[in-house]
Amino acid sequence: MALLSVQNLRAYYRTEVYGISRIVRAVDGVSLELQRNEIYGLAGESSCGKTTLIKVISGTIKPPLRVEEGKVHYQFGSFEIDMLHISPEDLRRNVRWKEISYIMQGSMSVLNPVRRVITTFYDIVTTHQGYTDRKAFLGQVRAHISKLGLPPDVLNLYPHQLSGGMRQRVAIALATIFQPSLIIADEPTTALDVVVQRGVLQMLKEIQAESNNTVLLVTHDLAVHANVADRVAIMYAGRIVEEAPTSLIFNAPRHPYTQHLIRSLPMIGDRSSRASLPGAPPNLANPPGGCRFHPRCPHVMDICRVEVPEMMTLPGNQRVACHLLAEGRR
Amino acid sequence: MRNFLLRYLIPRLGQYFMVIFLGVTLTFIIPRLSPNDPVERQINQMTMSGAHVNPEAVMHLREALTEMYGLRGSPFQQYLAYWGRLLRGDLGPSLSTFPTPVMDLIAGALPWTIGLLLTAVLISWFVGNLFGALASYYPDNPLMRLIDVASQAVRPIPYYVMALVMLILFAYIVPIFPFSGAYPVGTRVQLTPQFILTVLKHSALPALSLVVIGMGSWFIGMKSLTSNIISEDYVVYAENAGLSERKILFSYIIRNALLPQITGLALQLGLIFNGALIMEVVFGYPGMGMLTLQAVMANDYSLIMGIAIFSIIGVATSVLILDLIYPLFDPRVRHQ
Repeated sequence: MALLSVQNLRAYYRTEVYGISRIVRAVDGVSLELQRNEIYGLAGESSCGKTTLIKVISGTIKPPLRVEEGKVHYQFGSFEIDMLHISPEDLRRNVRWKEISYIMQGSMSVLNPVRRVITTFYDIVTTHQGYTDRKAFLGQVRAHISKLGLPPDVLNLYPHQLSGGMRQRVAIALATIFQPSLIIADEPTTALDVVVQRGVLQMLKEIQAESNNTVLLVTHDLAVHANVADRVAIMYAGRIVEEAPTSLIFNAPRHPYTQHLIRSLPMIGDRSSRASLPGAPPNLANPPGGCRFHPRCPHVMDICRVEVPEMMTLPGNQRVACHLLAEGRR
Repeated sequence: MRNFLLRYLIPRLGQYFMVIFLGVTLTFIIPRLSPNDPVERQINQMTMSGAHVNPEAVMHLREALTEMYGLRGSPFQQYLAYWGRLLRGDLGPSLSTFPTPVMDLIAGALPWTIGLLLTAVLISWFVGNLFGALASYYPDNPLMRLIDVASQAVRPIPYYVMALVMLILFAYIVPIFPFSGAYPVGTRVQLTPQFILTVLKHSALPALSLVVIGMGSWFIGMKSLTSNIISEDYVVYAENAGLSERKILFSYIIRNALLPQITGLALQLGLIFNGALIMEVVFGYPGMGMLTLQAVMANDYSLIMGIAIFSIIGVATSVLILDLIYPLFDPRVRHQ
């Protein structure tokens, strides 16, 4: 049984300004399953719905975002929850941080500027674990951060005294103190230079290897996915177009969009210039009908303009949503 | 610690004394630029009463007044003498109620002003900020909406109109509070429970009017500060981490939104020494504002200077204290 199963999820932003209503179909028919003990990478360009999908999965939906359709179902060790119908209090008490931690985008500024790091730890530990005596609490936090290779001095510092990479690590340490079943990391390395990036990713990997939990890693940086993820899903304009084990997606991509994406990556020793895809991703307030990639697809057929392609499972646990496969032309 | 003393505290104290020095110097110079001569004015007043005064006596009187007013010698000598007296805590005699010392007049008015204004400023700061944060955090709460609308409505009303309306409403139409003064005329000022109760009753309406006006502006300021903080990453993170609403509201939102409001409070507290002129006139309250008005009306230079010096020292001191304790509120500010 999968840890998380998302079925046919549609989540739209509905806004109404001066009587003009606007619907942004940020997530439009996404299905995916996260297994225990894996690192699942979610890739896609900016504004393709990655963060919206995560917000729904992590249960942080706020208007104008609304779930229109679909299921988000978790199966934790002892209990299961339906994320779309759980009460906020239940979610807060039993799920947040104990089962699901969310390292959000912009983690550099997730620490309260007027609180020492230890106080933020204290807030989180007392919230979820009840009051522990000071000594036990300090011991727990020190053991946790030293396991993650952080110096104990950071605890007594204020956020502005830490470097960006250190703040990011502290945010991860905060998110993993209770060894949650699922760690959602939204662009955890985007603002960091490659050296620090490597350290942070290494840390995430070690945490995952040690507690065998699931990491949902969201980034537009395919190099990060290649290094860290076990499986990768590619999102385009609110839908998942392809999902496969990492080596398969990089070596044998099937969807035309994925193929372009992979081909655009620089390779060591290859000096040829990279072709860029004509056009731009569609506006999600008014997406094209049928397959959303059809206006830019080099292999477009008549059916692509009318019908949304079904997700097809291929050998090797590869899932692709493209009419070309059904036509047998690829 | 040594670094803090040498690099921060001593220069900062130097700056503090410099501000006071400049302020006192200016208050010394400005009245002397006025064409009014207080000695001649006093003599005119005496001779105008009609009695015949012989010229020799006028000469003597002029001498005596110049001496007593501290106007003997060149301006620079006067200036030095002025500082000498000031350092001994002597602000000289008041010219309009000669020979009462200015110090005594201020000492008579200051406690009333401080008692009333300190209370009103603190209450409006606390209540305004608390409600401002709550209104921003719970925008759909009907009570918060009501307070929001009320603050928006009260803010553009000029204070003197507001104060008069409250006076007419609560002292005349519905006579709950006394009309004016800080205590009934003819009562001796003493520290009995009964007297304190009368004082409280007399100051309730003036205080209320100040709180209503003051609260409105703190409320509006805090509401917009809070609405910015609410979308900060660390607040969203705390929500995701499942912290309780109360914890997020107080330790994450209010704690950060309050920082600029603390500066505002310190400045207001410094200005207390000026009194609240309009309030004191409307409610006939015997504070520093009334005293200033009297002094200006009567061309009482030494009293004006005395009040100005208190105001200068008050503002400079409160800003100094704020600077010294601000790192306790915001760790990002550190004394170099």
